[in-house]
Amino acid sequence: MSMLTMASKCTNSENKKKIMRIMLILTLVFTTVFIFLLSVSVGSVKIGISDVVRVFLGLEVENDTYRSIILNIRLPRALSTILGGACLAISGLLLQIFFSNPIVEPYVLGISSGSTLFVGLVVLGGFTFGMKSTTPMFLFTGAFIGAMLVMLVVISATKKVRNITTLLIIGIMTGFICNAATSILTAFADKEQVHGFAMWSMGSFSGFSWAQTKFLYAIGLPLIIASFFLSKPLNALLFGDRYATTMGLSIKRFRIIVVFIASVLTAVITAFAGPISFIGLAVPHITRIMFKSTDNSVLIPGVVVGGALMTSMCDLIARMVLSPTELPLSAITSLIGAPIVLFLLLRKDAAM
Amino acid sequence: MNKTISTKSLQVGYGNKVVIDNVNIQGLKGQLICLLGPNGAGKSTILRTLTGLLKPVNGTVYIGNDNINTIKKNDLAKKMAVVLTEQLSLNMMTVFEVASMGRYPYTNFRGKLTDHDVHIIDNALASVHASHLRNRYFFNLSDGEKQKIMIARALVQAPELLVLDEPTSHLDVKHKVEVINILRNLCLEKGITVILSLHDIDIAIKGCQQILLLQNEKIVAQGTPEEIIKCGTIQDLYEIKGANYSELLGSIEFNNSTCAPEVFIFAGNGSGVGICRAVARAGYGIYCGILHKNDVDFHIGQALGCHIIAEESFENISEQKYNLALEKIKEVPFLIDTGFHVGSMNQLNIKLLEEAAKINKTIFSLSPYSDFQKRYGSFSNKIVPFKNIEAVIQKMTEMRNDA
Repeated sequence: MSMLTMASKCTNSENKKKIMRIMLILTLVFTTVFIFLLSVSVGSVKIGISDVVRVFLGLEVENDTYRSIILNIRLPRALSTILGGACLAISGLLLQIFFSNPIVEPYVLGISSGSTLFVGLVVLGGFTFGMKSTTPMFLFTGAFIGAMLVMLVVISATKKVRNITTLLIIGIMTGFICNAATSILTAFADKEQVHGFAMWSMGSFSGFSWAQTKFLYAIGLPLIIASFFLSKPLNALLFGDRYATTMGLSIKRFRIIVVFIASVLTAVITAFAGPISFIGLAVPHITRIMFKSTDNSVLIPGVVVGGALMTSMCDLIARMVLSPTELPLSAITSLIGAPIVLFLLLRKDAAM
Repeated sequence: MNKTISTKSLQVGYGNKVVIDNVNIQGLKGQLICLLGPNGAGKSTILRTLTGLLKPVNGTVYIGNDNINTIKKNDLAKKMAVVLTEQLSLNMMTVFEVASMGRYPYTNFRGKLTDHDVHIIDNALASVHASHLRNRYFFNLSDGEKQKIMIARALVQAPELLVLDEPTSHLDVKHKVEVINILRNLCLEKGITVILSLHDIDIAIKGCQQILLLQNEKIVAQGTPEEIIKCGTIQDLYEIKGANYSELLGSIEFNNSTCAPEVFIFAGNGSGVGICRAVARAGYGIYCGILHKNDVDFHIGQALGCHIIAEESFENISEQKYNLALEKIKEVPFLIDTGFHVGSMNQLNIKLLEEAAKINKTIFSLSPYSDFQKRYGSFSNKIVPFKNIEAVIQKMTEMRNDA
């Protein structure tokens, strides 16, 4: 009898946990939708949310310029912010598990800087070599090469050192080298190009074109969906390489997949929005704390929505605080993210 | 009988460097095999090779009839489970979640647990006596509890073979015994073959059917504990200095044979065990006698490095041994009577005490004062009664300092 009641209690508490998690995800989704509508609605021209919804539903609105502002300028930006945030956050989660290190993410490891350098080569160098314009594909390829190169440097370094802090320093130093090379590039480049490049390199989703947005979704969305299928091996990897192997995971192949996805996701964002810091770091941790779990089948959906929400919010703040002047997105994300890194570093038992 | 695991002309090591040559392990169903040896002897290297985590330099490891390298990782995980030395923090994971990872090779791509899986996990937790921990957070557990959960996680893989690298290090004696008992039950009841490395000598000798002794990257002996553990084996294996290991008693005693004897202890029938240890610990060299060779005091005394005057088992004390003891008594300033049991074969010990009293030796006795008349008779007034050995040692030290 007591065994039975205990068992039913267990399943009850299990069910409760499940319902709580679903409620939490739904709350996050609704908040994201709200922020999304808000970010389409606010700006130099204020458009009411009801008008925004009407435009989305294809209904008539009083002022016809609203339609073009929403559909041509604000919608691509809001959409790419949402997916961009999700990409960065998933990339951060993958890297944290890959390096079994709680304080890594694309920006901290210098992967974003590698992308920046190669985007710089394409944008600034390309102009010097007589190219008139750059296609999204070209930018992305540059960013991807840069991301992979830095990734390989960091991975080969981790074969020698396993220490959390040392890995962090290696990433930061690689980042410095890439930044130095980037600034040397800018010294030689055309002034107008440099201004645009400098704005871009502070990170922003402003001025996203539909072409870029479509490209971002074409690359990012399949990989995010693919990451949903990785939760089981990622959970095994929480036990370390050796345990994961003895539980039946083909570790080499899996590591290649993880590195590839993380690099592509970072590259596709960096190519168009510039290096954006700390989303990849902060979101997985906040999600772990909110869901009280390290189970990746729970975390991955949570991180996707959380990344979208946090990035949209930061973007909205960047636009609104000193409006009409727009702040660089990385300034806002750093203000929120860097204290989290410090907190985690000071807490020795940093959670994974 | 079918072998669960076997090796053929196996050389283990790293890269092309052979660390241990000629590793021959044949694990039968339900067997408990132990690798015993000092740190750095190569235990982990062998275990890593057996689990496929390390490629052999030469030769082959077979799981059942198949070469381990040709088995798919997922299929291998259904046959063999491993418990490593790594300490995992696994924050925010419950005990059930940790154990459930053992279903990895069986579950679908999302890792969804069926009712059957849950049943297996609960059974595994029950077999390591950890059902009550099911919903606790893993990182909050003690080391011993964590180790039990890691064993449960391995069992959840439903393996025929379980390999454990030093599963009892960091554990207190209660959990050590519990872990080994769990493993023995797995062998006996479920027919699982268990291969493990241990640092606990007596647990290995008493709990395992097969032992491999490793020293300096060599397998020095292999067989049942009774075959290979002889007097001095452990002493040599671990190159123990300053202490002696008694294989017979399974105990380690700190050796003080380098101290010059100052005390003669009269013991027998186990009365000398604690007293000899205490006196040796206080830094006194010891004569001990007259003991029979089948007396536990004899074996402890020997391990402690006492100089023992011993008689053959079940023989009356001979005149020769009596005279030898008397000679030694004259050499030392202090005599201690442990209050040993006097029977027909060791009566001469009392006679020795009487002779000592005659030449005015200081005799401390731990025998109850009420027994003095009966025990010592006419010379009982010359014996100094003491309640415990600490008081005796204090008195001896005072007298030594005065002199």
